[in-house]
Amino acid sequence: MQTFIEQLPVVIGALNVGFLQTLKLFAVTLLGAFPLGLIIAFGTLSKIRAISLITQFIIWIIRGTPLMIQLLIVYYFPGLVLHNPIWGGGEQGRFTAAAIAFVINYACYFSEIYRGGIQSVPIGQTEAGLVLGMTRRQIFFHVTLLQMIKRIVPPISNEIITLVKDTALARIIALQEIIWAGQAFMKGSHGISGAIWPLFFTAFYYLVFNGIVTVLLAKFERKLDYFR
Amino acid sequence: MPVLEVRNIRKTFGKTEVLKGIDFMLEKGGALSIIGSSGSGKTTLLRCLNFLERPDAGVITVNGETLLDCSKPSTMSESQIRKKRLHFGLVFQSFNLFPQYTALENVMLAPVLLSKENHVKNFDRSALKSEAEELFASIGLSDRMKNYPHQLSGGQQQRVAIARALIMHPDILCFDEPTSALDPELTGEVLKVIRGLSEKNTTMIIVTHEMEFARDVASHVIFMDSGVICEQGNPQEVFNHPKEERTKQFLSRYSNS
Ligand SMILES: Nc1ncnc2c1ncn2[C@@H]1O[C@H](COP(=O)(O)OP(=O)(O)O)[C@@H](O)[C@H]1O
Ligand SMILES: [Mg+2]
Repeated sequence: MQTFIEQLPVVIGALNVGFLQTLKLFAVTLLGAFPLGLIIAFGTLSKIRAISLITQFIIWIIRGTPLMIQLLIVYYFPGLVLHNPIWGGGEQGRFTAAAIAFVINYACYFSEIYRGGIQSVPIGQTEAGLVLGMTRRQIFFHVTLLQMIKRIVPPISNEIITLVKDTALARIIALQEIIWAGQAFMKGSHGISGAIWPLFFTAFYYLVFNGIVTVLLAKFERKLDYFR
Repeated sequence: MPVLEVRNIRKTFGKTEVLKGIDFMLEKGGALSIIGSSGSGKTTLLRCLNFLERPDAGVITVNGETLLDCSKPSTMSESQIRKKRLHFGLVFQSFNLFPQYTALENVMLAPVLLSKENHVKNFDRSALKSEAEELFASIGLSDRMKNYPHQLSGGQQQRVAIARALIMHPDILCFDEPTSALDPELTGEVLKVIRGLSEKNTTMIIVTHEMEFARDVASHVIFMDSGVICEQGNPQEVFNHPKEERTKQFLSRYSNS
């Protein structure tokens, strides 16, 4: 039987590996969902009715069903239904599948926030730009974009903080993120079994991570305080 | 030759005909006041002149150049319109300053972006800045250039909006009820700036409910009612000797205030 002091570095090492996977999923989701969300938002605002209706339908499906089901479907559908297991069996394949499900899911949530942001910038701002001879592109980038960002930072911040915890859902397709790593010590791993205390450490990782994210977002929000 | 010639402008929203054939002319250096009750189509007319609305019919000519002829759709493409609308400036009732820029940046933004769009080599930013600073001096806000719009009063914001329009050197500067969103004690400072412009022979179209001001500043007055020009003439004629019954009724609502 090892002492706690002997087990601690082993557990921390394993949790760090798991946390890296959590962090990677978090970062890839944001990098993918920020731009995809904007495209979807423009889709719902499209003057072409078919495009607008189709994107609204997709958003309804994605927001109306649990992310966990979407993860399972993205991961198992190609293998079980199409008989084409494109993800393979490895950790890389699980990560790709998880990332795709997360990006699509969060993009739909972001798109609704973007749409609200775009629509909340008064039309007079665009008209003032037009009358001064600006192009539509210049008006978007130099006039409306920052006003829109200012309005969406608080709701987007909420989503980002939720995402920190949502990454744990990838556990359902056995992605080896930090909860998977912590749980392994209950079943038995690295010669340690029946230990629940690593899970408390896991929770601590989330708390610290969320704390840092919250502080950074609040800082960014304050940066935009200089105008109304 | 008049600077501006407007012929038979018509505009319909859905089933409501808002402009039913508007014709007028404006001489260089003249100030045209448009008066009329709310809903008579004054804003829509200014928006048509600034290409924010597309009229259904009509011709707009500036300095002899036909800017818009609704019977020739080729005059109405987006990129062409962007150049043409620079003949006009528009000061909105609600100012519409850009909140994330300082007063000075608000005034300088459009010329800077225009020079980028036109790929101007060796763009002289310092010349633009000194021109902007002169404009701020002329509107009495030299000490407020570094302020953001929310740090300015409504009257100050509207004066900045006027400077922002002036720096584009429009042939015709339009005002849509420039003092209607202001507290009464702030209207004077804005009217004073516009009065100053008219003394410098700036060609202007002013939609206003300030009758006394309209009478003083205007070289020509138009009274609009339900989408038509009901009466027009010099301020003496329209204000002191209106011919039309509707003009008399409209003016009587303002005479005792
Ligand atoms: N975009 C629009 N869609 C539908 N109706 C409009 C629109 N803009 C103006 N109108 C209508 O046109 C009429 C004239 O409006 P407006 O030009 O704003 O008048 P004014 O500036 O003289 O008060 C009003 O009845 C108004 O409801
Ligand atoms: Mg109006």
